[in-house]
Amino acid sequence: MASRLCRAIRPIASFARKQLFQQPAVAQLAVQRRFETTDAVPPPETRPTVRPHDPLVKKQLTDFGQYVAECLPRFVQRVDVTYLDELEIMIHPDGVIPVLTFLKDHTNAQFLCITDIAGLDVPTREFRFEIVYNLLSLRYNQRVLVKTYTDELTPIDSTCEVFAGSNWYEREIWDMFGVFFANHPDLRRILTDYGFEGHPFRKDFPLSGYVEVRYDDEVKRVVVEPIELTQEFRKFEYSTPWETFPTYRRIEAGEDEAVPPETTEPKQ
Amino acid sequence: MASQKLTTGLTGLAVARHPQQTLKVVYEKILRTLQKFPEEAGYRRYTEQIVNERLNAVKAEPDVLALEKKLNAGQIEEVVLQAERELLLSRKMLQWRAWEPLVADAPKNQWKWPV
Repeated sequence: MASRLCRAIRPIASFARKQLFQQPAVAQLAVQRRFETTDAVPPPETRPTVRPHDPLVKKQLTDFGQYVAECLPRFVQRVDVTYLDELEIMIHPDGVIPVLTFLKDHTNAQFLCITDIAGLDVPTREFRFEIVYNLLSLRYNQRVLVKTYTDELTPIDSTCEVFAGSNWYEREIWDMFGVFFANHPDLRRILTDYGFEGHPFRKDFPLSGYVEVRYDDEVKRVVVEPIELTQEFRKFEYSTPWETFPTYRRIEAGEDEAVPPETTEPKQ
Repeated sequence: MASQKLTTGLTGLAVARHPQQTLKVVYEKILRTLQKFPEEAGYRRYTEQIVNERLNAVKAEPDVLALEKKLNAGQIEEVVLQAERELLLSRKMLQWRAWEPLVADAPKNQWKWPV
């Protein structure tokens, strides 16, 4: 009963709200504008799914980025603070060891821990590989990303003499992207199988790979063969099993071209 | 001595016997290295500021625990380690000539993301 009442009342209520408050709302806004100051602090984020933003942290990161750029003008090309409050220092590939040593040994930085080295392949760029060093400072509880670039033939200086931990990370990059690290003490394949050829994280490496491995009963051992995709696996189902947009059902089935949603009858 | 530290509580880090003396020596060395940098180098300006600040604190405060509180950079043994690292860094920075202008700019669109 109550719900039915509500249903009857709600349209009236919403109509009344529109009529009554439309005019005052504008006036209210103008009054607020008048009392606004430039250094007003935004209210703290309370929505659980939205990342809270701290302007103070961002300010600190920006200042520190500028500090690094001022100390090492020879190698730092650009400094960015991302919208997720991460500090990115873009450097020339010659400056890998100087910049990382500075970040590790300087009193105001003390990034003594290397957490990871990541790679990125963008074949359209002049230097297609991007190498990202992730550092952590336990003293100041801060992280920093140091980015540099290279291509297939240009070796990059190994950072093993600065961080002992980067030994395996560089082997991973070598294995996955084929970036050569000069002066690395032990640059071997690390993640792929014995005798594997190629660098699987390169964009020109096919998703299915080049070879397949299986146990052969006749020769009683594991054999490696060029990959063969049988025809059954080439049938791809493009429509999703869930009904996401019922008005576009016909298009998904591949019947005809797009129909504007307002002309289609909703199915009851 | 009652106020003497027994342990740092950190693995592999022994209690320093004469931390003030060690620190003074290392800081003087850093300052001497920094003299070789050009006057306006950013690294020289900032590091001189840090080192002078700490050196004055070390000279003024004979008590270790009070000094640790004043420096606010961990235990005095860690401060010694930081100073030693800074010394090695300053010597390397001199070799790298880090104050010079940029080696080379990045190619166009190298840092553009998304591509």
